Amino acid sequence: MNELPQQLANGLILGAMYGLIAIGYTMVYGIVQLINFAHGEIFMVGGFGALTVHLWLPDNFALGAAIPLMILGGVIVSVAVATAAERFAYRPLRTAPRLAPLITAIGLSIVLQQVVWMWYPDAKKDRPFPQFEGGPFDVFGANIQRGDLFVLIAAPVCMIALGFFVTKTRSGRGMQATAQDPDTAKLMGINTDRIIVMAFAIGAAFAAIAAVAYGLKNGQVGFRMGFLMGLKAFTAAVLGGIGNIYGAMLGGLVLGVAESLATGYIGDIPGMSLFGGGAWKDVWAFALLILVLLLRPQGLLGERVADRA
Amino acid sequence: MTTKNPAATTTDTTKSPTAQATPLIPLPPTAARALTIAGSAAALIGTFLAWTWTDEFPGNLTVTGYPGGLQVLTLVGAALTLLFALSGYGIRGLGWLTPGGTNSPVLLLALGVLGTTGYAMGAISDELGGLVNLDPGAWISGIGSLIAVIGAFGLPVDQPYDDGDPTPHLWGRIRHSLTAPEPGRAKDLPSWAEILIIAAGFGAGLYVFAYGIGTEYSELFIGFLIIAAFGFTALTRAGLLKRLSALTAKHRNVNLAAAFVAAICFPFTQSNDQFALIGANILIFATVALGLNVVVGLAGLLDLGYVAFLGVGAYAAALVSGSPQSSIGVHFPFWAAVLTGAAASLIFGVVIGAPTLRLRGDYLAIVTLGFGEIFRITMNNLNGNSGPDVTIGSNGIPNIPDLEIFGFNLGLPHDVAGHELTRSGNYYLLMLLFTAIVVMVFRRSAESRIGRAWVAIREDETAATAMGINSFRLKLLAFALGASLAGLAGTVQSHVSYSVTPEQYQFAGSVPPNSAFLLAAVILGGMGTISGPLIGAALLYLIPAKLQFMADYQLLLFGLALMLLMRFRPEGLVADRRKQLEFHETGQLDVPEDAPLPEGATGVAKAGA
Repeated sequence: MNELPQQLANGLILGAMYGLIAIGYTMVYGIVQLINFAHGEIFMVGGFGALTVHLWLPDNFALGAAIPLMILGGVIVSVAVATAAERFAYRPLRTAPRLAPLITAIGLSIVLQQVVWMWYPDAKKDRPFPQFEGGPFDVFGANIQRGDLFVLIAAPVCMIALGFFVTKTRSGRGMQATAQDPDTAKLMGINTDRIIVMAFAIGAAFAAIAAVAYGLKNGQVGFRMGFLMGLKAFTAAVLGGIGNIYGAMLGGLVLGVAESLATGYIGDIPGMSLFGGGAWKDVWAFALLILVLLLRPQGLLGERVADRA
Repeated sequence: MTTKNPAATTTDTTKSPTAQATPLIPLPPTAARALTIAGSAAALIGTFLAWTWTDEFPGNLTVTGYPGGLQVLTLVGAALTLLFALSGYGIRGLGWLTPGGTNSPVLLLALGVLGTTGYAMGAISDELGGLVNLDPGAWISGIGSLIAVIGAFGLPVDQPYDDGDPTPHLWGRIRHSLTAPEPGRAKDLPSWAEILIIAAGFGAGLYVFAYGIGTEYSELFIGFLIIAAFGFTALTRAGLLKRLSALTAKHRNVNLAAAFVAAICFPFTQSNDQFALIGANILIFATVALGLNVVVGLAGLLDLGYVAFLGVGAYAAALVSGSPQSSIGVHFPFWAAVLTGAAASLIFGVVIGAPTLRLRGDYLAIVTLGFGEIFRITMNNLNGNSGPDVTIGSNGIPNIPDLEIFGFNLGLPHDVAGHELTRSGNYYLLMLLFTAIVVMVFRRSAESRIGRAWVAIREDETAATAMGINSFRLKLLAFALGASLAGLAGTVQSHVSYSVTPEQYQFAGSVPPNSAFLLAAVILGGMGTISGPLIGAALLYLIPAKLQFMADYQLLLFGLALMLLMRFRPEGLVADRRKQLEFHETGQLDVPEDAPLPEGATGVAKAGA
């Protein structure tokens, strides 16, 4: 039994999902210094958007062909919710003290959860998500499920596309400028409002892709899935250095692998036999966050942010 | 202030007299006042008649000559409307009622009566199926209150329109007719009279609160909320609350004592153990909210996992409570258990706070959120299966024995001065002691050097540090203090609820206290104030507890309310002066206008600064 490659593979799959969600936190934070607490729920509604598309398609529709349509559906729902939230909830509060938008975000996340819980058919418990047929692949001694391949392909593609967008396009450079100094960027003729909407939209789109990956991996989506995933993704964003998009992906991967290794190996440490296994993985992920904040508060790739008021 | 230039003022004065004098509905003032009085009198008389034919509608509104249920609310509202409307005639002896606005309280009360009566009529015809179920009494009251509102809209507005303001549109005029000028300074009364007034004020407050808790069906509670909200605003507009708060500010200690006497009286007004339990739970909720207010309101640190500290205290107390299921077979006396709970919370507060408080505030929000979640998961895991056996996992620690303090068993009912004090009543009083401690800690620390340093950090950390404040140490102090106060409350909570389970301590659930509701109580009530979180907690506890039918929508409405609150009244119900200015940076009323300085005045201004 070759366990290490398996754990590493699991960690990378999980981490890629964290990374995709973390992009949304980090981009919004980088530009408006707001923790979009509702981002976990935007991830969640993306999953339900994708599921809806799947339910609309005929039963015999091949899943491989359905995936792009499902992604499209999820992205549309997520982006619509995120931009509406930006326009109607966050924008009026942009000059308010910092506590105000954060609390609005908490309210929004509760509202989104409850709306799905109440009005999405049968969403009071987890809804099954379509699964690929067929057994796992064997890669370097690790079993990789067919559904997990999706995120292993989608995450690098998304990252490359985002990297290209941010560095090479006019809007992307506008985004960088706005993140550095919104006022100066405005003076240079950048429509900062549009840039902010764009940051929300890109984050939401990535979250929707992550939600499809989540559904394919776990076989179900539920109205509560956004909370813990959002929390972990934010941890990943902090881990990588908040405001840095590459850091978000790296943080996600590190967090995923760390969590996976902790699940597999902490129980083997003498005296810790009772603290291993899946029940404790969230605790270890959180302990990692505290540790990182203690030792390297700026994150793996981040700049020093402690004294930025 | 462009409208201040002379040209604009002169052009506007030509039409402003009409804009000033015209009430919303153009009626001669005497006719309007007579109409209001006649309408409220009709509404009042109607409450003595039957409103419906069957006692299937809760509260039995069928008896003629004896108002019951919702009728009582209409009766009280109509009587108050009459009183205020009569005061508008300048009758001697009633003038004290309206030191501020005269007509806007009448209008507000009339609207409240119309709201309650209209709601009652709607509820009757909805539940019994059709308008035919309404008896003449209901129609008399309903139409009377409608006439009163029409009359009240015809009364001249209390506050003239601003010069240079264009005549506002309808909605603006309605809003304007509800405003009133501030009352002037009251003439001094002998201090015993002032203290009596304070006592009467608190007595009335206690009565209203106890009535609200004692409402037995949701229709009555909704009616109560409508009339209470309008009545409260009306009293504010009339300037009575301002007067009262001026008095209480003068006699602060009397005020605190009166508040606590009123609170101590509460369990004696309740013979039903269930209502006393609601009171005890509100106190727990309010005390924890007040503890959170130290962290959020004073020091400006956003703690999203605060309920976990309550949980730490509760679990610690449960473990040493002598419960037969506790994994530690010890039975501490209560004082030791309280110290244990507070100390455990304190330790966790320091462990969580020390690494995060050096960083920006946002990190703290997320780390505390994570901590709250991890606490719940850990308590679930420590069940002997997936971890060491400490907390019996998701079933929690049951059978926590009742407290016994100085031979006084809190689990048994006792007779005190002819009134029976139930088990929950006992715990209510115990909890009240803890609330008093927390209020005292809050007050003393807020006014001390430490408290002022917290406020300075909250407002501008960089500037505070430059002034020589060790911001990390003080933030940690606030965080740890808040944590241990929650732990304190937790020790009582574990005894009140007999058992502790992980699910009691979630981030957002339908039963307060949980972290989201605690934060909402602080924000709804008003950050940085003492009364704010107490009021906020009482409202947030009572509304879901009394309105069971909206259980499914409760969290949704809660989330929406949070968003709307942040958008439209971020400073909360009881506004801290500083917060109000912070959230509404424009339109401050009491800031002197930027009058251009006279020639040569610059030197003086500099010297003054």
